Amino acid sequence: MSRYELGIVDIRSIIKLLDDVYNYDFKNHALTFFKRRVENFIKTQNLKDTEGFIQKIEKDRSFFEVFLKDICVETTEMFRDPSLWRLLKEDILPKNIVNNPNYKIWIPEVSSGEELFSLVIVLKKLRLLDKVQIIASSISDINLERIKAGIFDPKKIEVNDANFSRVFTDNSLSDYYTLKEDGAYWDISLIENVKLIKQNIIFDDYPKGIKMIIFRNQMIYCNQILQERYLKIMHYSLVPSGHLLIGNNEKIDYWNSDKDFVLISDTESIYKKKLS
Amino acid sequence: MYKAVVIGGSAGSFQVITRILNSLPKNFPLPVLLSLHRLKHVRSGFVEALSIKSAIEVVEPSDKDTIKPGKAYLAPSNYHMYIELNKKIALSTEEPVNHSRPSIDLTFETAAQAYRDKIVGIILSGANRDGAYGLQKLKQLGGLAIVQDPNECQVKTMTEASLKMTQVDHIFTTQQIINFLQSLK
Repeated sequence: MSRYELGIVDIRSIIKLLDDVYNYDFKNHALTFFKRRVENFIKTQNLKDTEGFIQKIEKDRSFFEVFLKDICVETTEMFRDPSLWRLLKEDILPKNIVNNPNYKIWIPEVSSGEELFSLVIVLKKLRLLDKVQIIASSISDINLERIKAGIFDPKKIEVNDANFSRVFTDNSLSDYYTLKEDGAYWDISLIENVKLIKQNIIFDDYPKGIKMIIFRNQMIYCNQILQERYLKIMHYSLVPSGHLLIGNNEKIDYWNSDKDFVLISDTESIYKKKLS
Repeated sequence: MYKAVVIGGSAGSFQVITRILNSLPKNFPLPVLLSLHRLKHVRSGFVEALSIKSAIEVVEPSDKDTIKPGKAYLAPSNYHMYIELNKKIALSTEEPVNHSRPSIDLTFETAAQAYRDKIVGIILSGANRDGAYGLQKLKQLGGLAIVQDPNECQVKTMTEASLKMTQVDHIFTTQQIINFLQSLK
């Protein structure tokens, strides 16, 4: 079970290449994560070693897109942490959206789409889907195309269905997807009003006037420098009292962060932007 | 001389872990990193159960927490737990390894890279092969490899898989593991 292992020098030269050729800066990703991710990529793409990786990726833009998709960690499942989705369904979403025209929700890295589809299903069940505007961004074109087509991994069906039944008991998740010979597909009418945008929010523009951001288990792949940059961007993007949802074992902890955000649910890691 | 202990367990390891934690002194000088297979949709209760009689504090770390001696860190449900070279916790929701998240292999491998020859790795009872690769890696990097005596395990698969892959330093009963850990200064 031996596999190719990257040394520090390899990692540095890969990071430099991606920055030089594609203007993508990976130096602030968590080291263990980035190393492991690239090692797996080298193995699954049969690139043999660092040299093979560099040779292939520096000349091939479409191959770089494959790499970008691979570096985005797939969301594990639909309705991850069902207790959070129950709280959204029973309290936060209805309370905040009713009587609030122009309620905007942003998912800054939509990845494989499970957070987005969980959200639109909750909103649909609450009959609030047409009252919100949802923006979902990703650094990966391939991910965005898959989401537009409604594609998801059929291996996740069992856990998806089980999680759904921990949030809703009056129908089943299969009401929202179809199994075909070549895979599993969401009902894409659910996302017909969702804005899907390719962007790297660190460098590109980002949406403003946002009332809720869902960014769970994404900053665990960054170091503290990049994490703080993300949090500052999300702070600017949110309106005062807007919600920020992060992963349940993540926390906001940078210098003076308590002036920017206040924790409103410890168990579900929900923050609110402070009134300035 | 050791700087950390990493323990992996699955089916049949809960009682062994609690016995170990309950026997460690309050001033145990090392951090204890625990990667245990657990139900992924049950987030709470496990750390509380392990804490009941443990003299050292047992926590489910947040991402980027700094590892401190005399504390036990339990990999949270549905996350992998990596150890970064700067001795901080890094959590991950990447795909399961050996059908497991947390994966014992990943915790062991990254802990071994962070602590090199200053780590003790212990594989306990369990029903799959997770941990065998991680313990091999730990041993290769100079760590001390210990496996619970399969004859004592409720389920032997995991310890036997580890023994097949690695020439371990010790095959210990639970009591011997406890004696050994208590002797660490």
